[in-house]
Amino acid sequence: MTMQRLMWMEFFKLRKRMMTWVVAGVTIGLIILLYTIIWSISGKAGSFRDNGSIVFYSQLRRSLFLEAGVPFSLQIVATFGSLLAIILAAGAAGGEYSWGTVRLMATASSGRLRLIIARFIVVAGLVALLTLMTAIVALAYSAIITQTNGGSDFSFITVGFVKDQWLAYGRTLYVMLPFVSLAFAAAVIGRSTLAGVGFGLGVFFVEPLVSELMRVGGSRWQHVPNYLLSTNRNVILLQNKFPPYLPRFSFGPSARDLQQQGAYAPTGAAIILGVYIVVFLTLAFVAYRRRDITAGTGA
Amino acid sequence: MTERREILRTEGLWKRYGKITAVAGMDLQVYNGEVYSFLGPNGSGKSTTVGMILGLVRPTKGRALVFGANMATHPWPALKKIGAVIETPAFYPYLSGWDNLRAIAIALGDVPNARIHEMLELVGLRERGGDPYKTYSLGMKQRLGIASTLLRDPDLIILDEPTNGLDPAGTREVRELIPQLARQGRTVFLCSHLLHEVQAVSDRVAIVKKGRMVAQGTVAELLGHGQYLQMRAADNDALARALGSVPFVSAVERVDGFVRATAPTDRASELNKILATQEIYLSELKPWDMDLESVFLDLTGEELGQETAV
Repeated sequence: MTMQRLMWMEFFKLRKRMMTWVVAGVTIGLIILLYTIIWSISGKAGSFRDNGSIVFYSQLRRSLFLEAGVPFSLQIVATFGSLLAIILAAGAAGGEYSWGTVRLMATASSGRLRLIIARFIVVAGLVALLTLMTAIVALAYSAIITQTNGGSDFSFITVGFVKDQWLAYGRTLYVMLPFVSLAFAAAVIGRSTLAGVGFGLGVFFVEPLVSELMRVGGSRWQHVPNYLLSTNRNVILLQNKFPPYLPRFSFGPSARDLQQQGAYAPTGAAIILGVYIVVFLTLAFVAYRRRDITAGTGA
Repeated sequence: MTERREILRTEGLWKRYGKITAVAGMDLQVYNGEVYSFLGPNGSGKSTTVGMILGLVRPTKGRALVFGANMATHPWPALKKIGAVIETPAFYPYLSGWDNLRAIAIALGDVPNARIHEMLELVGLRERGGDPYKTYSLGMKQRLGIASTLLRDPDLIILDEPTNGLDPAGTREVRELIPQLARQGRTVFLCSHLLHEVQAVSDRVAIVKKGRMVAQGTVAELLGHGQYLQMRAADNDALARALGSVPFVSAVERVDGFVRATAPTDRASELNKILATQEIYLSELKPWDMDLESVFLDLTGEELGQETAV
């Protein structure tokens, strides 16, 4: 009951916060915008290169149809949505410090540990809800595109297909969680939204570059990226199934690249990401629970 | 007559930040239904002590017990019965006053919406309850802080500068509210700067300096009630000399045309008789009490700031 109460309180605050609605609007708007852009540029004949493969514009257009709607939109959410999820998580944890409400809430709630756990659960829940809403919007857009371009007999919708869509949704959420946890922990430990956003986005953008440098750096360093976030995130995202007649548009290395680099299998990658989530959250929970709160913004 | 119960006790409370000692062996006892004021100059360890009382700051040594709960380890049973406003109240700027109280009410549980309306009414924010907190004046923020404190119907209320930013009318209302809360059986722990106001509302007072308590007692005890006589005669020099030879007068000083003697006030007529036998006839003789500001100055050697707080 206590946890439910605290989670409801956290949800009440986040629901009333403009930032939550801005993040939701931007995520959904981004999907609509990208779908519209892709639709408008994919009408021409010809091809382009993606990760070394030749992709025809007609194939790109087919990605917007219902069969590919969910994994394609989730691929976009996993990249751009992660950035917004980082901002949401950092804002939820760091805002308490900048407003000075950390003390108010610490004395009004039944235990600091419960409060911070409830806050994280609600943030993670909102990220899941936003991702689902985005996939639903993408599906709706795909349905319109499909119906206005010859329609479909929906024969592709099988139990296996539905299961694959849910698995893709679960995988996408899972790869976002380490970044959400990192932003959350950094905001708590750094006592500010800025710390959370800075660390979260910094790692999101800089880590792949550092990984590339390490791979170039030689034997001592080349295996280190296999233990970092971006490589394992890519391994898991590559498990999301696309229709066989479509190429996979990715925002990272291909499966072949990852294999050559000696990346872990999906189970290993999931375990590594899980360890990161546990470590980041433990740091956040311990810091929040044990640290003195000597002023509104914490000591 | 209600039974005197101990609500709050600190036992040898210490807090060190590296080499800096913020609180050094603080021992407090606060009883039910009393207004207990906690005075000290800036940096004297008041807020750190309050932080330890609320379980927000971990003591380096010693413990704070509130309603019998050790606040460093199991604060929640006690926190449910405590309402606290510490320094400037802080709320969510994007939420309205009503929504801020609602968020606290959800966290506390069992607080109906009617109670929120009642509290907003009590502090005069009913009309502005729907407006965002960020649009509130400092006085309105303070009033919302008091409303949040009372929301949980607390047995112990901790107020740190509760009238900071309030206009004179608001200050008067809060000053009247404090003894009213105590009459309802609540205990009030008040941190304040305005000494004459503290003197008016407090049952007991503690004065702290550099993390240590330098005095604790009832207001009368601290003011030396019944220990001073103030008098005047045609020749104050002769009066002062005569007082020096009276056995139960322990000290004499001359202040603003008066002679002030440290002597039991219940022996005033006896003193008058002794002086008359020495042909010193008093034109004025009355008991005199120190004020809290003088006591504070004597004990701490520091003046308090000119903050417009209680």
